Formats: sequence, C-alpha cells, structure tokens
Amino acid sequence: MRPVVPAAVLFMAACGSPQPPLVAAGVEVTRPMPGRHMSAAYLVLANNTDGDTRITRVSSPQFASVQMHETTIEDGVARMRELEALVVPAGGSLTLERGGKHLMLMQADDVGKGVTLHFHSGDTLVLSVDYPFPEERG
Amino acid sequence: MSPGKLIVAAVLAAALAAGIVLALRSQSPAVPLHATVLEPPAALPEFDLVDHNGDGIGRSAFEGQWDLVFFGFTQCPDICPATLQVLAAAKAELEDRGQVPLPRIVLVSVDPERDTPDVMSRYVGYFGDGHLGITGELAEIRKLTDGLGIYFRKQATGADDYTVDHSAAVLAVDPAGRFSAVFGGQHVVENYLNDLPVIMEAG
Repeated sequence: MRPVVPAAVLFMAACGSPQPPLVAAGVEVTRPMPGRHMSAAYLVLANNTDGDTRITRVSSPQFASVQMHETTIEDGVARMRELEALVVPAGGSLTLERGGKHLMLMQADDVGKGVTLHFHSGDTLVLSVDYPFPEERG
Repeated sequence: MSPGKLIVAAVLAAALAAGIVLALRSQSPAVPLHATVLEPPAALPEFDLVDHNGDGIGRSAFEGQWDLVFFGFTQCPDICPATLQVLAAAKAELEDRGQVPLPRIVLVSVDPERDTPDVMSRYVGYFGDGHLGITGELAEIRKLTDGLGIYFRKQATGADDYTVDHSAAVLAVDPAGRFSAVFGGQHVVENYLNDLPVIMEAG
C-alpha cells in the first residue's frame, strides 16, 4: 500500500518553509515630528499557530528603545501606559492602531528611508518587519 | 387681476414658500450631532502665556475668529498627532466645501517644560499653516485649563522620562473668546464636518 501524503505537507515541502507562525500586515510608522525623536508604529499581527504568542520585547536598529504602549480614553482623559507584553491570540490577530495599543519608538538615531522592527518572544526573535517610508509627498 | 390669475399667483407663491422651506431644511441639521454646546457660552479665563513665536499671548488672542482648541504635548506620539491630523483634515475639507468662516486650530501644551516656543513652532507648522501653538509658565497654563475643566497630570514612565495624561476634548471657542462647544474623546473628521458649520452658524 502506498503512503498517502497530505497535500499541505507537499506544499510545505515544495515551498521549502512552513507557513510563518507570525505575520505582520498594514504596517505604518510615523516619521518623527519636527524637532522630536519619537515615532509611533501601527500594524496588524496575525498568529498562525495554535498557541498564543506573547511579544515581550520589540527593538529597532534605528531607535534607542521601543516600548509597547496603550492609549486609553476614560472619562474623557487620554492616558498612555507601557505594556509588559502584547499577546497575539492563537489563530487570531492583534491590531496596533491610533488611540489604542501601539509601539512607541524613542530616540531616533537615523530613520533614513525606513524602519526595521524586531519582535521578540522571550529570547527568541519571532518576526522582523521592514517598513520603507513612502516617497515624501510634494 | 382676474380670479384665474390670482389663483396662479397664489399657487406660485405657495410653491416658492415651500421651496424656501425645503431649501432651508436641506441645509445642515440645526443641532450638532456629536459636539455638546454650552448654553450660554463661557468666557475664557485670563492667562498670560506665549505663542509659538515666543510672543506674549492672552485671552484677547481668542477674539476675532473661531478656534478649535486641543490640549496636548509634542512628545505624545499617538493621540496628539492623530487629533491634530483630524482637525487639519476637517478644516481642509470645509474649505473645499466653501465653508466661511473657518476655524483656527490651536494646540495648548500641557508639557511646557519640554514644549518651548521653538518646539511648538515646528510642531504646529507640521500640520499646516495658520495654526497656533501656546505654551509658557505651568501656573498660567493651569489658569486656562482649570477654567475650562481640562485635566492634565504628569506620569513618570521611567527613571528620567514621563508622559502626560490629559483631557482628550477639543473645544470650540467663538469669535467673542467664549468656550461655546466641546467635542469629546474620539475625534473623527466627519463629526467636525457635520457639526462645525452648525455651531459656527448658531454662534
């Protein structure tokens, strides 16, 4: 009897790599404001695994530090707090957006033409994202 | 005039009147849908601050035009630029629609320690021309914010850094320098497009 190989396995073998466990989409990084050295990053993280992914650290070669933040508006007051971790649920996604959870990129060194973000879970680099700035609008 | 002509004239007059009523009704709704209007409007408190050019500025600077006033700080990377972008986009769209008058956009710093006039100048200029940045002595800023029910408070975020919690509201100030309406926390361009013409017309 011949072994039956599932199509998905064949596909993975053909591609040479399995589906990435974590994917970023809709990335946007604001340019540092004039006279300022900080930016914000917004994106959607999708988790293709069957376990929650806990992002415990984000770093960028262009910034001295990256913090995970959440803006909340309660009773008409906007507050910003640092988060210890971002949790991307199993098989689901996490949206980082204006006025909500976001990344705060501090002390820009040289953002040049774009920004690279490294997402770490524990000691592991689980995702690296390059965001090239669009051409300056005239 | 014959009876026939009278009837025609009456019908025409009625049609004209109906047309006027319909035309008036099809204008923007007469009440703001998102902003809360203050009845009566409240005069701004006296204050002694500086604008983004470093020139002295007081209550009278709010007289002569409509102003949309937001309280924030330039090292706020998320909600402050997002709000100023919404206000600038709403103003640009209202201008495209031929709205007169147009409001001026004003940022009052709740972080005067770091927001010098030079910093404010580059910051408000980033969002377009004609905006006003206000900073100065903390005690004078408190006079303005306390008088308007605006809350802000410094919060340490590390050994040597801090953020500032602050009211997210945008205030509409009328050309007599009176606080006349407030837009609450979630700022959306459409809310301003709908409500500002109504508020400015009524004011």
